[in-house]
Amino acid sequence: MNTTQQKIRAAIDEAVHASLPELGEVDYNAALTSDIGLDSVQVMDLVMEIEDRLDLSIPIELLAETQTLADLATRLEPLLESN
Amino acid sequence: MSLFEKFNDLAQSRAGLGDQHVAPVATPIEKVFSATEGQINGQRTILAGTNNYLGLTFNQEVLSAAHAALDEYGSGTTGSRMANGSYHAHQKLEQELADAWGWPAAMVFSTGYQANLATISTLAGKQDYLLLDSDSHASIYDGAKLGQAQTIVFRHNDPANLDRRLTRLGDDAKRALIVVEGLYSMLGDQPPLEAFIEIKRKHGAWLLLDEAHSFGVFGEHGLGLAEARHCMDGIDFVVGTFSKSLAGIGGFCVSPHAELDLLRLAARPYIFTASPSPAVIASTRAALNQVIHGQALRDSLWRNIEQLYSALNQMGYKLGSEQPGPVAAIILPDRESALAHWYGLLEAGVYANLMIPPATPKGLNLLRISLSAAHSPAQVDQMIDAFGRLQAAA
Repeated sequence: MNTTQQKIRAAIDEAVHASLPELGEVDYNAALTSDIGLDSVQVMDLVMEIEDRLDLSIPIELLAETQTLADLATRLEPLLESN
Repeated sequence: MSLFEKFNDLAQSRAGLGDQHVAPVATPIEKVFSATEGQINGQRTILAGTNNYLGLTFNQEVLSAAHAALDEYGSGTTGSRMANGSYHAHQKLEQELADAWGWPAAMVFSTGYQANLATISTLAGKQDYLLLDSDSHASIYDGAKLGQAQTIVFRHNDPANLDRRLTRLGDDAKRALIVVEGLYSMLGDQPPLEAFIEIKRKHGAWLLLDEAHSFGVFGEHGLGLAEARHCMDGIDFVVGTFSKSLAGIGGFCVSPHAELDLLRLAARPYIFTASPSPAVIASTRAALNQVIHGQALRDSLWRNIEQLYSALNQMGYKLGSEQPGPVAAIILPDRESALAHWYGLLEAGVYANLMIPPATPKGLNLLRISLSAAHSPAQVDQMIDAFGRLQAAA
């Protein structure tokens, strides 16, 4: 895992603990909506927590194609590198 | 595998609301006696969840205008504004809206939903950016989805958070359209509008203000929050609806930018739909006149707001907004207590709105009251008594 990936994982871990503490351990391969059961508002709250930690804006169009936190982490890499 | 399988969660959620004889969502209203009274489940009931802020649905001038237009122009236009659906009255209404703001451009749409869909999806194009408050109405999110702009969400009512996102855009912020609402319909809270305008100016961005729930309620002429806060010159586009204070159905956009008119050539939700019926346009024109000259109505509405907010605060209810307004959102600890409150109020002869996730921000369970200028002090007392009895029974 490179530095960018580590930074993203750390931000996601922190964001999940801040916005969804009830989830406990972060499962990167669980589907955000069908497995974890998040609704669109909860997903948006989580994204804003991640944005604050990475000082990055995540376009919501990117979320439409994102199923899991692992997906999200992968999609954030180019965004963070070009930021 | 069925096409309907994907709705299983929704069906389960609806089933979780119970199978009582009166449904708390999409509640059938059997009769409507006035702007504030109807019949639900055979019982005469105060309507306290209808967004009928100025109570104009039974106003005699509004009704007479609709009746006359129905007789003179028929039941519908049967066509788009771009084809056969632009009657003189549609254009007159647009002129009257533009005149009300003192701005050069106004467009009328067939619903308030379409007004947001059309303006947001068309104003912000492929190379542009949309910055949406996270608590935005579905029509704003859907407008973003229909368009091709890159969409970024900022924290609800947080100008510093918006500032950071615009700063990241650098020079591109000049092609960013910020969207905020004058009154958020779920919690009834208002935005820090002046701070948003300051940030918009700092970055050279554009600002669209959705006054769906604030039009008619705020300002000397009822034009909305921007008028009340004396900052209309900081707004680029105001979107509004006819289906609340204007007591009809439809929507509008007004702007100090004359180029708004170009949207008629490009906005799909404007072009590819039938225009509002003549009766709706006529009733809206009559209602607009009542709104602009409706300070007495606003005085009655605000008297009711003060009465209800003050009582609910005294009873210790947690409300969605500290600033009193026409929407009082009572935050309840869970779905069961929200449901119990909803049925308790209905039994006491008061209809309110049950609002539950995912329609609500932060997963809140709400009982939402919308007040009207037409509510009498006695009706507001009845609402307060009903809450008092519920609290005593808990």
